[in-house]
Amino acid sequence: MSILVNKDSKVIVQGITGREGLNHTKAMLAFGTKVVGGVTPGKGGQEVEGLPVFDSVQAAVDAVHPDVSIIFVPPFGAADSVLEAAHADVELIVLITEGVPTVDMMKAVQEVKALDAASRQHGGKGIRLIGGNCPGLVSSGETKIGIMPNRIYEKKGRIGLISRSGTLTYESAKLLGDAGLGCSTTVGIGGDPVIGTTFADVLPLFEADPDTDAVVLIGEIGGADEEAAAEYIAKHMKKPVVAFISGRSAPAGKRMGHAGAIIMGNIGTPESKLAAFAAANVPVADTMPQIIELLKGILNK
Amino acid sequence: MKLHEYQGKELLRRYGVNVQDGKVAYTPDEVRTIANEYGQAVVVKAQVYVGGRGKAGGVKFSPTPDKAYENAEKILGMDIKGLTVNKVLVTKAVDIDAGVEYYVGMIVDRNVQSFTLMACAEGGMEIEELAVERPEAIIRHRVDPVTGLRPYEAREVALKAGFKGNLNKIADIMVRMSKAAIELDANLVEINPLFIDEKGNPLALDTKFDVDDNALFRHPDLAALRESEADHPLEIEAAKYGFAYVKLEGSTGVLGNGAGIVMTTLDVVNRVGGKPANFLDIGGGARADIVYNAVKLVLKDPEVKSIFINIFGGITRADEVAKGVIQALNEGILTKPVRMRIAGTAEDEAKALLAEVDSDMIKMYPDMFQAAEAAVAEAAK
Repeated sequence: MSILVNKDSKVIVQGITGREGLNHTKAMLAFGTKVVGGVTPGKGGQEVEGLPVFDSVQAAVDAVHPDVSIIFVPPFGAADSVLEAAHADVELIVLITEGVPTVDMMKAVQEVKALDAASRQHGGKGIRLIGGNCPGLVSSGETKIGIMPNRIYEKKGRIGLISRSGTLTYESAKLLGDAGLGCSTTVGIGGDPVIGTTFADVLPLFEADPDTDAVVLIGEIGGADEEAAAEYIAKHMKKPVVAFISGRSAPAGKRMGHAGAIIMGNIGTPESKLAAFAAANVPVADTMPQIIELLKGILNK
Repeated sequence: MKLHEYQGKELLRRYGVNVQDGKVAYTPDEVRTIANEYGQAVVVKAQVYVGGRGKAGGVKFSPTPDKAYENAEKILGMDIKGLTVNKVLVTKAVDIDAGVEYYVGMIVDRNVQSFTLMACAEGGMEIEELAVERPEAIIRHRVDPVTGLRPYEAREVALKAGFKGNLNKIADIMVRMSKAAIELDANLVEINPLFIDEKGNPLALDTKFDVDDNALFRHPDLAALRESEADHPLEIEAAKYGFAYVKLEGSTGVLGNGAGIVMTTLDVVNRVGGKPANFLDIGGGARADIVYNAVKLVLKDPEVKSIFINIFGGITRADEVAKGVIQALNEGILTKPVRMRIAGTAEDEAKALLAEVDSDMIKMYPDMFQAAEAAVAEAAK
């Protein structure tokens, strides 16, 4: 078991003929992911890595029945690609692209949510968007629908990992692996201001997953997603959560690489996030190695 | 990307917002000419990309053209929070006491995954301060990004905020401001103060406008407004290479692959008692030439005394990073010591390459903290 995706998840790649799309398709195949096809408008009928390329998501859905679509389309077309997948009823849409205009994401997220509600109302499984500007998700040893290095996710573990940052996800997964803990599922939710799935959306899935014992949450400055997560944890979670906040020394008003990593006035400060986690009794690691210490302390109790 | 007040006002004017007239001037003489032309008291306002201009002495009421000249002499060339004032906006002065000042703004709000319209009857103050001191005074309303703000919603918000004056005209300004925010891909648009005269008519006296960098590709006219003096020269050069670079105050140069890891690297440098000189994200999958350029860029900052490179190789190969740094050494541009922590893909190859380098200028550590301590120690020498 794992959350959101497993070894049977069938995946299509939107933007499969582009450089990034192609490279990561190869890496996902090497990981063992069931990639069943790709979409590049105008290149339908071609083959990539032995996989069929379709002109539209709907054509791919009709022919190869994917559960998941991963998107590597450039920023100007990315939100359109998300909506194309959502309207073709793909259950899980993973947007890797960085640099999508925020207003495009607002419109896409709102429409995906409406389609999700409509699907559930009619007995469907719903539609979820993860990202953009995210590394994707991986259920260790089963499937990788993302751009993480394969090596660190070979072995299955029992820690759920959620993160706003790509590289810190890898760093944490490596630390967890080296410590003999390992990850169950890792979800990179993305570093943009408006994203499809937040910490608080993923936490209930880990809480319900029998193969996850504890959760590591890697947050950063900007916004109030960590505060919302802390509130959810305090109210609803029995499983332990250990948090880490990146950018604690960043100056206010400066965007630190991620479009969403900016302290604006009193919103998005590390102090506010630390206070929220303290109020929720969630230990916050001061350094990355300390994540492991805290986790071991809790799990050994 | 932040815009100047006069640029933000021009955009709002295009959307039909009633904006206070004004003209830009670069010299005290120009200021006097404009004041003469207006034939009434004016306000001379520094045009810099920071808030709190008034408190810093960058906004001056000028009853006569001579006084305007005098004020312009003081303001032009003034330093406000590290930025030099090289132009001012001259506007017709308004008798504030004859009316009331409100606040209205549209801000990207990740919590509602859209824009939030904010309105407050206590205008003129910085909204950040107000949000801390009297949060209940600010009315917040999620705006649908597809339909935009409807007039009835604007009226409801204005009423809730306790706005007095011509309700329809005030709501109309809010609708137009919201339309500008959505269509021009703003991160933030503020009208503060929104002045309501004794007849109840609204007038935008000051604005803030911040545009989403990721959307500039579809607003070439806005992209052209980017001013080099707004950013640190190194930030502009970094942008040419496609690096995310932020100039900071310390002496340990920092570079890494990914925003998250670089943010954490800054935290680690601080933790071991150092001060980072910059934030530099070289991105994923960087090859040797990119690393070489990044090192070169960091060294252009005269404050930098050492460099800390922190790489967790996923897509990025550790040996490519090592090659880039070694190239910098071989070409003689490596004037400050580099302390590296490289882990992940091709870590062993990187170690082998560095083992052949016979120089104290480059050292590699397996641990982030050891490398940080070493880099900070070098910076302190």
